[in-house]
Amino acid sequence: MATDNAADDSAKLKILKDALYEEMRQHGSETRLFTQRDLLDLNIVPNQNVMLLVRVVQGLCDDKLLVGTTNHHAGLAWRWRSREEAKKYTSLPNDETVMVYSIIDEAGADGIWNRTIKNKLNMHEAVVKNCIKYLESKGYIASMKNVEHPNKKMYIKATLRPSERATGGPWFTEGELDTAFIQELEGIVFEYIKTKSAYRGTQPQSSVSSGAPVKAPKKGTILGSDPASRGVKRSATEISTDDGTPAPSSRTAAGSGASKSRAVYLPMPAGYKHYPTVAEIAKFIHDTGITNNTTLSQADIQQLVDVLTYDGLVEPVYSSASGSNGRRRVRGYRVTRAMKQDTVPFHKRQKEREAGVGLDKPPVVGAEPLTNGLTEAPCGRCPVFELCEEGGPVSPSKCVYFLEWLDLEDSAAAAVPPARAAAAISVELPP
Amino acid sequence: MLVTKPLAELCALLIDELHGELPSRIFAMLLTKGRSTVPQLAQYTSMTPRQIRHGLAVLHQHNLLYYHVDASSDLAFYEANPENAYNLIRTGKILEMVETSFGAPAKDVVQSLLLSGQTRISDLVAAYKEKIDHATKEAAANGEEADWAAETNGINGDAPSTNKAGPVVKSTAHLNSILCRLVEAELIEVVHSTTFESPQDVQKIVEKEVMDKFFPAGVKGNKAKIEFQEKMAEGLRKVRAESKSLKRKLEQQGSGIKRRKLMENLAMAVTNGNHEEDLDPVLDPRQVIRINYEKCLVDLRNRRLVQFATDMYGETTAYVYGVLLKLLTKDLPRCRQDPLADVSEDKHDAEKPFLVTTDLILDNLKTSVDLSLGIGKAERRQVSRSVAERVEPYPPARRTFLDEAEVEGEASADEDEEDDESSEGSEEDEEDYKPVANGEANGVNGTNGARVKFAGAGGAAKEPRRLDRPTQLRQHLLLLCESTQHFVRHCGPDEWTVDFPALLRSLRETELDTVIERKCGRQGLRLARILRSKGKLEEKALPNVALMRKPELQQKMLEMQSAGFVWVQEVPRDLKADVKKSFFLWFCDVERSLGQMLANSYTTMVHCMQVLEALRYKERDVLETTKRTDVRGREKDAMRKEYYERYSRYLDCERKLFAQMMRLDDLVSVLRDF
Repeated sequence: MATDNAADDSAKLKILKDALYEEMRQHGSETRLFTQRDLLDLNIVPNQNVMLLVRVVQGLCDDKLLVGTTNHHAGLAWRWRSREEAKKYTSLPNDETVMVYSIIDEAGADGIWNRTIKNKLNMHEAVVKNCIKYLESKGYIASMKNVEHPNKKMYIKATLRPSERATGGPWFTEGELDTAFIQELEGIVFEYIKTKSAYRGTQPQSSVSSGAPVKAPKKGTILGSDPASRGVKRSATEISTDDGTPAPSSRTAAGSGASKSRAVYLPMPAGYKHYPTVAEIAKFIHDTGITNNTTLSQADIQQLVDVLTYDGLVEPVYSSASGSNGRRRVRGYRVTRAMKQDTVPFHKRQKEREAGVGLDKPPVVGAEPLTNGLTEAPCGRCPVFELCEEGGPVSPSKCVYFLEWLDLEDSAAAAVPPARAAAAISVELPP
Repeated sequence: MLVTKPLAELCALLIDELHGELPSRIFAMLLTKGRSTVPQLAQYTSMTPRQIRHGLAVLHQHNLLYYHVDASSDLAFYEANPENAYNLIRTGKILEMVETSFGAPAKDVVQSLLLSGQTRISDLVAAYKEKIDHATKEAAANGEEADWAAETNGINGDAPSTNKAGPVVKSTAHLNSILCRLVEAELIEVVHSTTFESPQDVQKIVEKEVMDKFFPAGVKGNKAKIEFQEKMAEGLRKVRAESKSLKRKLEQQGSGIKRRKLMENLAMAVTNGNHEEDLDPVLDPRQVIRINYEKCLVDLRNRRLVQFATDMYGETTAYVYGVLLKLLTKDLPRCRQDPLADVSEDKHDAEKPFLVTTDLILDNLKTSVDLSLGIGKAERRQVSRSVAERVEPYPPARRTFLDEAEVEGEASADEDEEDDESSEGSEEDEEDYKPVANGEANGVNGTNGARVKFAGAGGAAKEPRRLDRPTQLRQHLLLLCESTQHFVRHCGPDEWTVDFPALLRSLRETELDTVIERKCGRQGLRLARILRSKGKLEEKALPNVALMRKPELQQKMLEMQSAGFVWVQEVPRDLKADVKKSFFLWFCDVERSLGQMLANSYTTMVHCMQVLEALRYKERDVLETTKRTDVRGREKDAMRKEYYERYSRYLDCERKLFAQMMRLDDLVSVLRDF
């Protein structure tokens, strides 16, 4: 502790400086602001001597160990800076570089745009550029990318990691939305929900009335490989669960045709309490350690599950669960259209994909989309639907898509002169 | 019904297909010009009045016209009936529906009725009598049948030629019995004098009557207005009831019906109904009857909903649902309530609640159906009974489609939970489960009977445990209740009802989603549904919610905008309305999209017809050959191989196109009629 001998010599001042600096470090982190009152109350400067304090603080500021700021309610205040940082400051060649470095320092983890630096300091561009070049070569600052402004050149202190706001959270890699990562993760989350929210059982493979192969509208049928399956007859045999028609699946079928049964997912009975919640999914993702270098919070997983909900692949269900603090309503998620789901296990699909099979399918498999009359006819997806009219430039009677759909392609090629056919076909259907 | 250009075109094409060009041209003219007299029509179409009259007669015979005779001028005004014209497309569906619910003979009768339009019962009986006589004379007689069917080659495409020996309708008594059953089911109604007045005319007539009778001094004040509305509704209902006169008469003569109803449960699937023909009263031969499309639509709607349930849950659940719907809609005359006529019918409804009990469904389930299928198994303690069995006495208010359950109160659910807990462990287990069969060695089993082993491990270990049938049935019903689509509402203990408006809204939304998904992919669907649940969203907010890259998202949104699924609103920040500074809000208007979809469906149907027309023109030489009397009926032998191949390929295409129109009609029904 310093004694109260009044003296002007620099040695004493240095002792006071060191003492004050150390005491400030004891009293708070780098971000804490110390007002004049606070500094006096530290009882380092004897007799509450303000003049002496001013000299001590000035000395510290010159050493870059203290940073003066004006705080709008406390007035002038100071915070301390680590010795390594201060060393960096003192090692800089000139004032301009110091100013540039300090402004980047203040911007913190958000980083700062080089134009902003220029405007704030009101310096010539070349000067700023030189300073930045120097700082970068020294390894004090680094350039970074901000997802919100991908085109702006930003700088950040090399020792800091860009903030969440700047990187865009876990979904971004190097400033780009990592769609591949998201898709893979969606696939995993979906698979988890599917297996946890539906019962994997077997269903006897019954005849026409319930056979999934007949029912499941294949994507290819639009080309009309199997006209009967789309026609009146089909809907007739399928829809009819009324009197006089075969019932969906009978007990006898269940008994005898056990060998023909197939694996299906079945919906859980009403009131099922254990639909997976977001917390459970987050825990699962965490435990498996799929995302080894990114940590995903529950909010992130919620975002992912919401997307699946909007895609119509899962739906929220409300159930009650008893927790430590009594009963509460819990939002779980279950898969939609459980019986139409793919029963091939995820890892098997994954292997297939690695082997190059089924790469055209999305990673989130889901059920086959529903179809209706409009999605099946060529008109439903026709790019020139609005123009098409008898007597117009494009007309139903000359429609190439219809001919293709009706399997009349070869005769169409014969009927239409080649040049015109080519022109007509050049309007490709969207995939 | 709003008649748009594609719809008008479609109606004209349909009539052309089924009844020829003359009526079609007159019909199209009536649609474009509105109600007209014969001289006016002659002027519009440049046809002679004689031709016009011929055409009108055909249209009139098939219920495609309204007419109104002005008492003062003795002039008849004709007006098109677009509903019935559109209904022509449903011919095949209706026949198929009648066949599955009433059997082949009933289908035959309905087919005759559809072909000949409105018919006097005596004429129908005479026609059938001749046919039966003819058939008894010639042993292998399905020639006549083929004749009937050949003319229909339009909508119902390949009417399955009845290969059975002899006619499907055995005798006139049989015919009478079939008619009685159809009348009871309201599928056949009586034609009477006001049938051919257009709805507007009927409304005017009733209004005039009511005014003359009750309000000679005019309607003044709110109270009188309500009274006037009620009187109007009453009057309109009276008019409507006239077409049910035959059914009422049958009910009065009742004895036979009651007995038959008893028998019905026993002999549901009996095809030849010889059993109780004699019990049916003979219908008045002078009555003129026709098909009641409104009631047919109710049955068609049931089928569509069952299919919807199949898509969402699976066959077994959908089967249960089908039975429930059938019982529920037995006395439902039409899909949508008439805003004018059904104003005060609520009072009437209160007496007879619109619901079905579990027992009734159970009685009507086929014994061959295994109800244990289609639902996963879960342990007792994994299922909260109070949540599952929650009774909702009132229909849901309109809500947003996602997050809807959040609105519901939490307190009430919690209260139920407590008593549920206490009962769950003890008695219910006893009554719901039969004791576990001794086959499964289950360690836990000995002490606590409730803890049955969960068969989840691989699904291989088949549990011997079986729920009893009513419980299984309840499980299916509760599953339907729990759905986000509002399939069923558990409106009282063991009482079930369906909120059709809410359910159909979700069905319509599903149809829209299907189209969006097919047209713009899963990401398009995602964006549309985000907008639907969140309302208007700014362009910058979308990528975060949808987890999509900005450029891709913008491209997708433009694609969807041009397809008519989303719209954008520009909100300037200041008076200058600088584009760079404006907000761009995306939004999604479901009603508008659905309207667009309906119009597109009509247009697509028109296109199908036109493609078919072009096809016919291309193959005209082949088709002409098939019309020759010596070729007809034995095309395969009489035609050259190459010609026959072309012919059969043409038939394939025709079938495909008609099937496609059927599918489109499914969509139109959902969007417009159900």
